[in-house]
Amino acid sequence: MTAVPETPPLPDRTPVADVPEQEELFMHLEHDQLVAQTFRPVPPALLGRRAVIGLWALRIFAVLVSLMVIYTFIARLH
Amino acid sequence: MSTQDLTASPLLRQPLLSDEDVARSRDRSRVHLARHHDRRWHLLWLLVGPGILAMLGENDGPSMIAYASDGAQYGLGFFIPLIPILFAMAFVVQEMCMRVGAVTHRGYGELVLQRYGRVWGWFGAGDLCLTNLITLIAEFVAIRVGLAYFHLGAGVAVALGLILVLFTLSGGRYWRWERTVLGLALFNGLFLVAAILVKPHLGAVAGAFSFTPLPGGSLNTLLLLLASTIGATVTPWMIFFQQSASADKGMTPKDVAHGRYDTALGAVLAATFGIGALVAGASLLHHGSGIEAFAGAGIPAALARVSGGAVGTVFALGLIEAGAVAILTISASTAYAAGECIGVSHSFNSSPRKAAVFYAANIGVALIAAVVILIPGAPLLSIALNANVLATVLLPVSLVFVLTLANDRALMGRWVNRRSTNLIGIAVIVFVGVCGAAYGIDSFLQTVHLIGS
Repeated sequence: MTAVPETPPLPDRTPVADVPEQEELFMHLEHDQLVAQTFRPVPPALLGRRAVIGLWALRIFAVLVSLMVIYTFIARLH
Repeated sequence: MSTQDLTASPLLRQPLLSDEDVARSRDRSRVHLARHHDRRWHLLWLLVGPGILAMLGENDGPSMIAYASDGAQYGLGFFIPLIPILFAMAFVVQEMCMRVGAVTHRGYGELVLQRYGRVWGWFGAGDLCLTNLITLIAEFVAIRVGLAYFHLGAGVAVALGLILVLFTLSGGRYWRWERTVLGLALFNGLFLVAAILVKPHLGAVAGAFSFTPLPGGSLNTLLLLLASTIGATVTPWMIFFQQSASADKGMTPKDVAHGRYDTALGAVLAATFGIGALVAGASLLHHGSGIEAFAGAGIPAALARVSGGAVGTVFALGLIEAGAVAILTISASTAYAAGECIGVSHSFNSSPRKAAVFYAANIGVALIAAVVILIPGAPLLSIALNANVLATVLLPVSLVFVLTLANDRALMGRWVNRRSTNLIGIAVIVFVGVCGAAYGIDSFLQTVHLIGS
């Protein structure tokens, strides 16, 4: 059985234009630009093992250096 | 209304338009008309906005204080040629954000979250919220410093910032918000006026572009100013903001060329005004005992003492403008990120009733920052400089995802990065990462007395 991706709730989309006006308005928007379309999630991408390791390494490094900056900032206040 | 009702429109089974679609479509109809009638300047006028706002928004209070501190501490050399280089780096990053936003019609936060997983999406949003909150505090600080020159207190700074946020949100349209903030952002040119008023030696300004060697003095102070100057040009909020704003504006792949002009124009203006702040600050060289000398009384007061009251007044007004514009753009980037990550409506074209999270985040983050600056005795200059440093340290992770998204052929199709853009992008990530880490590690080791200062 294929799992159906969870779709976030759509915003309240009360129709705000009558039919002829809607036809004209549709002409100026690309189909995937409509709010209804942008609320459909894009399919997930598969990251390679190396990419995941690299991202986690960078993430941990950034957090460690951030903690150093915050510690230094607080220490220098005293 | 059921989902079936929404999709069973008489118009070729297309979904009904929401008020956000209608507002965006009306903006797009003007773009179509201008393009159809080949009105080039009008088309440019309609399509500029996110790029200029991201760049001039980043010429914010802490950035202008950082530039002026660079000038006051080291003079014109070294940092003057660095500013255009940093804005060239910012252009490369922001162009990618604009392109991804125009092609996918989605913001950075939602794309990272949906494409690479919730962990990375929420990490990005967390970084953004942390750096945005600290930066917003620094923006209120900048307004406070500017107003202090006119003998006005922190309460006025708080009121001014919050009234501006509420006023710009009251329009209910992206277009109105963008044009209001653009109008305010042009006053960033006051820093250029300040530079002209200090009557710099033009030969010395031109000579500074010949790249003087690294200035002497404390390595840690130099690293602090270097990291905060980088943080003054490329930051996480700019990434979130320009991609989301490009999508909210309704830009499409046809508009990518104009998006590039917009981003390039923003970079040129921001670099020019940034150099203006540095040149004005350089008039304080040999008149202070280090950057901390300008805290409290503020740079405008020091400029008034050294270069005359007019320079102090213009610089103070510039700081108020820089802080105000950044409060608006940074609050907006927080609101976009909150709406995108939670998966609810996130557009200036939506009403507050339909995009409650978006509007609440926009006002809420500004409100929290405003409350913090009312705390007496806060170390103002230190907060301003460290806000930029923290943004620099956290930036490489966001940059990696920008590069990944811009190379995602499934999303971008033929609009993926060229090899040269990737090479420059990687160089930017390495440069930003090394500079941020160098300051963070060096200051930490000094603080715990593992190395001498």
